[in-house]
Amino acid sequence: MSRLKIAAVLLAVVVGVIAVSTFTVDERERVIKFQLGEIVRTDFEPGLYFKIPFVNNIRRLDARVLTLDATPERYLTSEKKNVIVDSYVKWRIGDTANYYRATKGDELRAGARLAQIIKDELKSQIGNRTIKEVISGERAEVMNLVRDNAARAAADLGIEILDVRLKQVDLPANVSSSVFRRMEKERATVAKEFRARGEEQAKAITADAERQRAEILADAYAEAQAIRGEGDAQAAETYARAFGQDKEFYSFYRSLEAYKRSFSNKGDVLVLEPDSDFFRYFGNVQGQR
Amino acid sequence: MAWNEPGGNNRDPWSGGPRGGKGPDLDDLLKQMGDKFGRVFGGGGKGSSAGFGLLLAAVAAVWALSGIYIVDEGERGVVLRFGEYVDTTMPGPHWHMPYPIEKVETVDVDSFRSVQLKGQMLTEDENIVQVDLGVQYNISDPAEYLFNVRDADLTLRAAAESAIREVVGKSSMDFALTQGRSEIAARVRTLLQEMMDGYKAGILIRTVNLQDAQPPEAVQAAFEDAIKAREDEQRFINEAEAYANEIIPRARGNAIQQVEEARAYRAQVTKAAEGEAERFSKLYAEYRKAPEVTRERLYLDAVESVLTNSSKVMMDVEGGNNIMYLPLDKIVSQASGAAATSGMTTGGDTTRRPQSTPSTAANDNNRVRDLMRSREVR
Repeated sequence: MSRLKIAAVLLAVVVGVIAVSTFTVDERERVIKFQLGEIVRTDFEPGLYFKIPFVNNIRRLDARVLTLDATPERYLTSEKKNVIVDSYVKWRIGDTANYYRATKGDELRAGARLAQIIKDELKSQIGNRTIKEVISGERAEVMNLVRDNAARAAADLGIEILDVRLKQVDLPANVSSSVFRRMEKERATVAKEFRARGEEQAKAITADAERQRAEILADAYAEAQAIRGEGDAQAAETYARAFGQDKEFYSFYRSLEAYKRSFSNKGDVLVLEPDSDFFRYFGNVQGQR
Repeated sequence: MAWNEPGGNNRDPWSGGPRGGKGPDLDDLLKQMGDKFGRVFGGGGKGSSAGFGLLLAAVAAVWALSGIYIVDEGERGVVLRFGEYVDTTMPGPHWHMPYPIEKVETVDVDSFRSVQLKGQMLTEDENIVQVDLGVQYNISDPAEYLFNVRDADLTLRAAAESAIREVVGKSSMDFALTQGRSEIAARVRTLLQEMMDGYKAGILIRTVNLQDAQPPEAVQAAFEDAIKAREDEQRFINEAEAYANEIIPRARGNAIQQVEEARAYRAQVTKAAEGEAERFSKLYAEYRKAPEVTRERLYLDAVESVLTNSSKVMMDVEGGNNIMYLPLDKIVSQASGAAATSGMTTGGDTTRRPQSTPSTAANDNNRVRDLMRSREVR
């Protein structure tokens, strides 16, 4: 056989041996090296390492930040009110050996146990606070406290908790509907207030305008009457001056005018005796008196 | 002992039996392969070795070439050597040491990814609002993105949901629905970036938009009514002002009219007085010149005018206790009828005689005659 063939065969053998006795650790992995079932080493940085085939075997775990997304749960607040909370936990493997011992590397199992820890902690924190504090004022505090307090129990599982975050903090459905009604009522009150205010101002404006109108008209009436009075006075004075020249003649003249004006219609009926000056010559050619 | 020692029967050391026996004959196998390739590459036994060498060389070359890769524009290549991160490569052609020594994963860092969130949430004052949130982000550190967090995109979505609910939970409903939108979006952005940085997810938040913030559908009608009420308030005020702006000028106009009418009256009355006074004065002046004649003339003219223009009943009773029958109501109605039908009052008593109503003019004369006759009888 040629040397080349020998070399090729040797190469294949070497490759095979290498493949069986080395392993890589990816950036995303935590690797446990066992020796005959016992944990030997867990602190592998990413890179290439050696193992003894059949004696050592390795187990790979996800080193990244993982998410435990819990289902929404009902909790009781300090006011004995129900609140529905949906939360998630950001965790990763802290102590690889502990984690493996506690969960055998089963993420679901790890998740279930972690969920219980978190739930208990949440119950305690929420139970000490009012709804408003949980929603708003102390929300961040609740999250931080749950994280910090759960960290100790989680460490027993070899789990490092990075973050516990509340997603939903909501009222149960039946309470929501009463919240809606309250919101509607509040809005209705606001609406009524607006409209009432508007009407009030409108009335004020209207009343003021009408008052001004009355004043204007009253002033005008007064002024008009005064002017008319002036006219009347002036006329009276003129008349008096003229007619005063001869009161008797005025009386005569004016009476005649009055008679003419009073009886100017065929509808007026006069029943007369022929004894006035008009009829002086009526029955007597010389004129009777 | 060596396998080709004399007397050793040329035993095949592997199979343990005589050469050419059962079992895989490796030497033959290789020879066959070499022959085959030798035939391809040309040449005999010696050539087969060379061909085999060429084969190895070819395999090695292919293996080496497999390390060539191209990073597209907008991407980065993350190079791992034996699982360990060594480099991030820029867009363009590169070469890495072939698998299993090195491998490369490419990550799109330029294109923006987006997350849309919609949901109802509680506000600080325990009201419920409906919120629409949009987040845009891209990958800022491809190595962190790949290595630190499993499912970084899902992580971002959950974090965004948590962040918006936290920020809205700290805001009042009015604030969230009206002027607070941009501030809420800014707070969410800060919070979200903090969280992503805390997880070292290698993600950069680009924009956060509070696209919509509404009261929940169930109560929207009430909210809209409140808005309408505010408009109503303004409308009431506007209507009142319009009314005021109408009646006051009109009143002023009215006032001016009244005053002007008064002034007209005054002028009229004074002028009439002056006219009449002048008339009287002039007449009086003439009267003074011939008083008796003037007086008589005036008197007769006046009475004549009166009598011609009215209906008359003449009664000439000289003493006695005679009882006159004077149907005044009939006379008056006849007189009115005559006035109506004749239109203008004329000097004479000759008027048209309608058949239905007896003419008062003729009757007048008859009356006078009748009455005078009756008087004579006495």
